[in-house]
Amino acid sequence: MGPDTDKTIFSSYVRKDGLFDEVFGKDGNVKSVYQKLLDLYGARSIEDYVSLNNKAKSSFFNQGITFQVYGDKQSQEKIFPFDLFPRIIDPKEWEIIEKGAIQRSLALNHFLWDVYHDKKIVKDGIVPIELLSSSPNYLHQMMDVDPPSKIYNHISGTDIIKHSDGNYYVLEDNIRCPSGVSYVICNRTALKRALFGVFNHYKTYTVTDYAENLLNLLESVKPPGVDSPVCVVITPGMFNSAYYEHSYLAKAMGVELVEGRDLFVENDFVYMKTTQGPVRVDVVYRRIDDLFIDPMEFHPDSTLGVPGLFAAYRKGNVTLANAPGTGVADDKAIYTYVPDIIKYYLGEEPILKNVHTYHCSRPDELQYVLDHISELVIKPVDEAGGYGISIGNKLTKEEIEEVKIKLKANPRKFVAQPIMSLSVHPTYIDSKESFEQRHIDLRTYTVLGQDKQFVLKGGLTRVALKEGNLIVNSSQGGGSKDTWVLKQ
Amino acid sequence: MLARVANNLFWMGRYIERAEHVARFMNVNYFSSLDAPNQLSQSRQFVLRSMLFMVGDPVYDDTLELDEESVLFDIGLNTEKNYSVISSIKTARENANSSRDLISTELYESLNKFYHFVMNYSKELFVKTNLYDFTVNVTEMTAVLRGKIRGTLLHDEVYAIIMLGVNIERAIQVTRIINTKFNDALMAQGSYGDPIGNSFEWSTLLKCAESYDMMRRLYKKSPNSTSTIEFLILNGRCPRSFMNCINQVYKHIHELDKKVEYDKGSTAFMVGKIRAEFEFKQIEEIQDDVQGNLDMILNKMFKISENMEKEFFNY
Amino acid sequence: MAGLNCAHMFYEYEIDYDTQNSYEKGLNEAFWQFMVIPEDNETQEVTYWHFENDLGERNSVSENGLGFKTVQVRSKKVIDHIRFNAHFKLKKKEINPFDFDLPMNLNDEIEILNSLDFKVDHEPYLRKTRLTALPEQHRDIFLFDSNKSVFENLTDLNYWAFGHLYFKVGVTDVNTPLAEIIEKRHGVCQDFTHLFCAVAKNNGIPCRYVSGYLHQGIGFFGDSQMHAWAEAFVPNVGWIGFDPTNNLLANHNHIKVCHGKDYNDCAPLKGVVYTLGDNETKYSVLVKTAEEQQQQ
Repeated sequence: MGPDTDKTIFSSYVRKDGLFDEVFGKDGNVKSVYQKLLDLYGARSIEDYVSLNNKAKSSFFNQGITFQVYGDKQSQEKIFPFDLFPRIIDPKEWEIIEKGAIQRSLALNHFLWDVYHDKKIVKDGIVPIELLSSSPNYLHQMMDVDPPSKIYNHISGTDIIKHSDGNYYVLEDNIRCPSGVSYVICNRTALKRALFGVFNHYKTYTVTDYAENLLNLLESVKPPGVDSPVCVVITPGMFNSAYYEHSYLAKAMGVELVEGRDLFVENDFVYMKTTQGPVRVDVVYRRIDDLFIDPMEFHPDSTLGVPGLFAAYRKGNVTLANAPGTGVADDKAIYTYVPDIIKYYLGEEPILKNVHTYHCSRPDELQYVLDHISELVIKPVDEAGGYGISIGNKLTKEEIEEVKIKLKANPRKFVAQPIMSLSVHPTYIDSKESFEQRHIDLRTYTVLGQDKQFVLKGGLTRVALKEGNLIVNSSQGGGSKDTWVLKQ
Repeated sequence: MLARVANNLFWMGRYIERAEHVARFMNVNYFSSLDAPNQLSQSRQFVLRSMLFMVGDPVYDDTLELDEESVLFDIGLNTEKNYSVISSIKTARENANSSRDLISTELYESLNKFYHFVMNYSKELFVKTNLYDFTVNVTEMTAVLRGKIRGTLLHDEVYAIIMLGVNIERAIQVTRIINTKFNDALMAQGSYGDPIGNSFEWSTLLKCAESYDMMRRLYKKSPNSTSTIEFLILNGRCPRSFMNCINQVYKHIHELDKKVEYDKGSTAFMVGKIRAEFEFKQIEEIQDDVQGNLDMILNKMFKISENMEKEFFNY
Repeated sequence: MAGLNCAHMFYEYEIDYDTQNSYEKGLNEAFWQFMVIPEDNETQEVTYWHFENDLGERNSVSENGLGFKTVQVRSKKVIDHIRFNAHFKLKKKEINPFDFDLPMNLNDEIEILNSLDFKVDHEPYLRKTRLTALPEQHRDIFLFDSNKSVFENLTDLNYWAFGHLYFKVGVTDVNTPLAEIIEKRHGVCQDFTHLFCAVAKNNGIPCRYVSGYLHQGIGFFGDSQMHAWAEAFVPNVGWIGFDPTNNLLANHNHIKVCHGKDYNDCAPLKGVVYTLGDNETKYSVLVKTAEEQQQQ
């Protein structure tokens, strides 16, 4: 137990030069927000830590807080890797993140309204028309549809990183069906159990009220004329990788978790099939992609959705959150224009910076990208979950040539960004039985409702578990950490 | 509640209950046969056949030599056999997965742990040495699940649906167990000339239904065919009896169907009618044709289940 | 209005749409959406409609994503077929397809076509879909003549498409790629229309697919199908209907139901059925004039 006899938690921690460590400064001193945590835990032995960590893991497994990875031959249940060493964000930095995330979500909401109505931003030459006309997520069916309370992106997930210059940058916006929020709450639950002694010493914002707040905001965007709306969460089903999250959110909000086959539409109203007969549904928090929500209007072969749902939506008899067609605004090609979008609609300077992005659709930028692949990250514009990303300095010569061929064949499909040096955080690595530096990012959750909005005070710190790796998505072997936002 | 989810919860209840009865039946029959008073009851082949009869996969060919390990594996851990304990637990969990938002975290966690326990149980150990350990664990874990169902769920529609599943399945399984042991008693009588009324199989039967001790307390003498069947079918205070099950079903169906006057085609009406019939039934009426009566009870339970499907789960 | 010599010519039509869908294995649950109701517009007005299905289910009138009326039928019984019938009465104005001022200055037209506002406003119908994208190898199959007005070019295109394909039933279906249609040079009205739209869009002219009924002439009886033609946007004039299958401009015999980017936006019947077996669809359309004409 004593630090003299055993290895302490950080006894073998190596800090590499050039990486921005969230916990230790350049001189090796502990940063002030982490001081207390290290005072309380730093001297503990690694064995102590491991036993706590294992207990927490088996609790996750027993509770079935698991996910399935795509591409596995057998669908295997895995727990989302996490460790008990939290990421702590001080109040001043959080203020920037919070304001920046809200600013971004509001601006994107304006943008969505505009591109589905007068398209002023395009006519004014700010955003090129090609970005709309070439986007499969730009849904003509949404033209001139007024969503209740004029809100499209009720829930946005903004992925933010800290660069080695110490500034926060937005890496991408997710405004279709951003996932992961259930892990934020599970991580917190696990940490409270394991490190209750530490919580006494930190004034940390709670994250467990997320579902309650979400329900309030969903109810606030009910269709006109409905007094007490019936909300549901719609899921593609048990075999979806995020099913745990869908069921968690439904349970925490106290609403039904439905599949497409549980709902039907008659006379442009939506009903769910219950043991006591049909019950009208007013607000649908959908976790099904746009193109699958209604086979009458979108993918005709999809049985995940509800035939007639879109007509009911168009008529204003049901609210869908997020609104269909939001995908046009989280396209990675639109991302570059977000600073301009913020200025155009809000007349403000962007609070959170963008990473510089090269559009391969522009000939001169394509040429730059082709000449500098080894210094860039190449991303397809319409893939989520970290799929299809090439990181220039990790590619072999042959792979670089392959990427070049792909870029030339379909330049509109790709954007490129300089390789950002994501900050690192001490992370417990199972196979090494020690803490090591790993790159992290932060997904924040912003919710817009009628005249009110909030950012979940915490968010999901995602960890790239492979050494040196920059891709943090869970489907790509990423882990997570509890994230503490401290009160002022 | 969603009709689809209600259906899943109903079957979750049924499968949890089914797993327990199958596990206990294996346990009690296997271990009580070891020192049974007559040779047939001691015979391993006899016991294995009895187990297969009970799960609904009877072997009629007397000359066939059954392999103990493969029979135990089939009934315990063979995922290919839909009657196995492991299949029941898998299905119960699948059903729970689709209704996780409605049941308590505690209940789900217990079921999930149970599932992992069964999935990870070594086949080798089970068929060679650990029959006792496995079956005892299964029966205990199902008891925990029952506790979680009762103690952590709101006693509303969700609870009623699960309890309907549990009680209908219990009535069916207890009836099947009686049928199996009655069959065993007939065979044991045929070989050794013991009067069927006092067969050793009646004690085994009561143990299979976890009712032996209480039966002794009530009747204060060795169980015979009349007292055992009376206790397990007609005694409403015996928690495993058919009478108790139908009383429970009657109580819970009211949570789903709150009408005062029931439609004659409704499940509530059907249940009420069966209950009234058995409330005033005498053992003598059953004794004349035990097997015929057991078949009738099974058919009635199947009808209730079918009717529920039409009335509440038809989505 | 006595004294004013104001004569409006009207045609009155009766339309009968009848369909039967049979399902080999039967089905428990189904949802059908029929897009067969003529739209109300400047030239036509639906004065009566009646729907019937033999399942005894409700016929709900709704709207699709582009605002056209649909009829939805939901069934949750075990069935093996549905028969659906729609009956309409409709008033159609006499149309003079050439009733506009032509041509405007060619340069003005080109300026409008090239302006950002125009491209933004007409983005939906300039967008190429799988069925209306001209294959790379056929990009130059029909080029516009820069010395002619947009309208003249479209009329030429109409004539060219009419000549390029010959009408043949049963050799193509809704999934036949445009390249194959161009190369094998045959098809039905859908294919003529997709080809027309593809070439028009390729030349920067907004163009949309129209689904509707064609009155095939006075006294003409017999089974018929739904018809398809195209509408192209001519600067300063508006949407003009071209029927490349018949080398016609759309006139009072063309009764429009709806439009969209291509056939997929306009399919007369969409259904979601939960069944494993095959299904068979039969349908017939009958369009007749109620009276020859009416003077007012």
